[in-house]
Amino acid sequence: MTTGAVIPATSTAPTTRQVWTRTRGIVLAVVLLLAGAVAIAVIRSDNRHGDLDPRSADRYGSRAVAELLADRGVSTRVVTTLAEARAAAGRDTTLLVAIPDLLTPHQQSQLRASTAGSGGRTILVAAGGSSVERLAPGVTADPATSLKSTLDPHCGLAEARRAGSADTGGIRYTTTHLDADSCYPSQRLATLIRVPTATGGGDTVVLGAPDILLNDRLDEQGNASLALQLLGSRPHLVWYLPSLSDSSATGTGEQKSLFDLLPSGWLWGTLQLFIATALAAFWRARRLGPLVPEKLPVAIRASETVEGRARLYRKANARDRAAAALRSTARTRLAPLVGVPVSQAHAPEALLPALSAQLHGDGQTLHSLLFGPPPGDDAALIALTDQLDALEREVRRP
Amino acid sequence: MPLTGRAALLAAIGSIPIGLWGPSWTGILAVDGSLALACACDFALAAPVRRLVLTRSGDTSARLGETADVTLTVTNPAGRPLRARLRDGWPPSSWQPGTEVEASRHRLTVPAGERRRITTRLRPTRRGDHQADRVTIRSYGPLGLFSRQGGHKVPWTVRVLPPFTSRKHLPSKLARLRELDGRTSVLTRGEGTEFDSLREYVPGDDTRSIDWRATARQSTVAVRTWRPERDRHILLVLDTGRTSAGRVGDAPRLDASMDSALLLAALASRAGDRVDLLAYDRRVRALVQGRSAGDVLPSLVNAMATLEPELVETDARGLTAMALRSAPRRSLIVLLTTLDTAPVEQGLLPVLSQLTQRHTVLLASVADPHVSQMATARGNADAVYEAAAAAQAQGERHRTAEQLRRHGVTVVDATPDDLAPALADAYLALKAAGRL
Repeated sequence: MTTGAVIPATSTAPTTRQVWTRTRGIVLAVVLLLAGAVAIAVIRSDNRHGDLDPRSADRYGSRAVAELLADRGVSTRVVTTLAEARAAAGRDTTLLVAIPDLLTPHQQSQLRASTAGSGGRTILVAAGGSSVERLAPGVTADPATSLKSTLDPHCGLAEARRAGSADTGGIRYTTTHLDADSCYPSQRLATLIRVPTATGGGDTVVLGAPDILLNDRLDEQGNASLALQLLGSRPHLVWYLPSLSDSSATGTGEQKSLFDLLPSGWLWGTLQLFIATALAAFWRARRLGPLVPEKLPVAIRASETVEGRARLYRKANARDRAAAALRSTARTRLAPLVGVPVSQAHAPEALLPALSAQLHGDGQTLHSLLFGPPPGDDAALIALTDQLDALEREVRRP
Repeated sequence: MPLTGRAALLAAIGSIPIGLWGPSWTGILAVDGSLALACACDFALAAPVRRLVLTRSGDTSARLGETADVTLTVTNPAGRPLRARLRDGWPPSSWQPGTEVEASRHRLTVPAGERRRITTRLRPTRRGDHQADRVTIRSYGPLGLFSRQGGHKVPWTVRVLPPFTSRKHLPSKLARLRELDGRTSVLTRGEGTEFDSLREYVPGDDTRSIDWRATARQSTVAVRTWRPERDRHILLVLDTGRTSAGRVGDAPRLDASMDSALLLAALASRAGDRVDLLAYDRRVRALVQGRSAGDVLPSLVNAMATLEPELVETDARGLTAMALRSAPRRSLIVLLTTLDTAPVEQGLLPVLSQLTQRHTVLLASVADPHVSQMATARGNADAVYEAAAAAQAQGERHRTAEQLRRHGVTVVDATPDDLAPALADAYLALKAAGRL
């Protein structure tokens, strides 16, 4: 080999081009998938965004009603946490709970506790069965919702009578309060109920559907009139939009957990230790090269069949066959020792005289030993083996 | 992600400053960010693995049980020194079990632009061709926090040859051969049939070998010497079928057969005979023909190195036909096969006459010492049944051997340790009797 000979590249790592060739299909698929997801998100993002939010000008937002109220001197404030909502409750305040069903039972109880005696108005928009029972005791929701959306007042509530028919059709309620106003009935069950509190002049309004507050529907029927009257009865409107980031949702407000009690240095130090453990796992997980495969040879013991046969004899108690084999071997070994050709070893008349001549023994014993019937039990078989061994030793001795 | 333990350790130590002074995301970011930065620098500064140039040299063959040294030359063309761990991958049977990890891994430092050699010592536990697998190199950065890892395929084959353990018997058998030849000072009468030469009588010579006619012509007493025939043809036939796969002791029967075939070949090539080899099960696995006396043993060893038992029934008819084709003139055909009743009675016996018609046939079979051990088992019922089964098996082998002998075949049945010398003795006996 000359010094200038080209040494072929031996690296098994793929080149950049190979990596590109291999992965471009996957990359293309991922890009397509992402593009599709973005496109779908863009196309479908025009509706259902900021529902019932007084800052949202969407179809399902409520900016219009907030603007109208501002024109009439009612200030609107949006709160997202329970603590703010509770602090805001007061005599000259209307508290609107936009989606009461998002509150946890604990939050609902707390909210109810602060609104009950405040003297202000509380409006519950489309409260479901369990939340309406906690936020407005005495009112129950019917599992069946109203079929029609637009309903007529049919009640003595001044606001309702002034507004006329409105889109309140949604959840239907019944109440046990005798002084409550049940309006806009759909098949005898009201979709708007006003329950005055026992003391302080406050009241709770339960609204079966949010439609009258939506930008989209405000200009239909008597919706605007009803909404403005209900929301504008106090100079301040607090619009409570329950949010997931509210820490009171966990319900463990007063109980301190172990993590709260530990100094934060320990927690962050432990987090860093977890990171270190992950790094150590990566360090140990990386092998120095793949396993090397190899074809394994067959491993069969040559004596396996003989051992199998021995176990078969044992299992079947084949004493006759075992004894026959042992006797036959013994005869084959004895015959040359006493001068009988091997071919005649299995003939009693040839072998026995020669043997008894050598041993001066009893011909009958020899016959039963070498040509006798099979032994009756295992002990007899063992004894037979020992006797055959003894006989062979005796013949070999002289 | 080829991180090192040092990086993980640093991350663990980093939990102390985080806990004491910076228990916040900022602290975590500061510690792990600087660690990541150090790792990135390390990665950038590690010598690239892809551009390394690797070449191999060293042993290409070794006997089973011996060692083979394979050298790997690593050239580092980069401008940075290479600090690396290297694994030279070989199949697991290239090392004694338990020593693979230690034997295959190396630490390596190659300064920029230089080359270094490392030697991997193989101690194969199995016969055959051992192909080098990939070389994996993990190149560390100067801080030892991060590494690059890559593989190189540098082909190399080490052929592991049969151990030929029976060569220890060769001197004694060669001495016996020289006695036959009449070349030794023991002065046994050459028992061959071919007249060799006349030489002067020395006291101790057999007086029957004195050639009186020659003595009359000379002033000294002359004796005739005889020597065995030379330039005879021997065909070793290895049966690599299923019966050769059974393990006797630690190795398959085939290995014991090979060992005795090698001793016989060594002996016969010294005796001036030509030795051929045929390995067959359902097709020809190896065929060595027409090698000169000096060349025959290496080529046989080479051909046997890659032979493995196949789990198929041997085609005795095909084997006979192939043997007849490979041995055109009168030869000694040595069949290294089994004495099990079924394969012999159904396979070999019907076609044996084709072989015995023209050739002398010698059949060697590996007996299992474990069966002999079982035959002497005594004491309880299990042992006696074992003894009975072993006696039955041995009886069947004897009967099969007897049947073969009636067809004029010389049969050698011995345990793996005794088979090679027994086969050599049988060969010498045939040679002495002039039956080749």
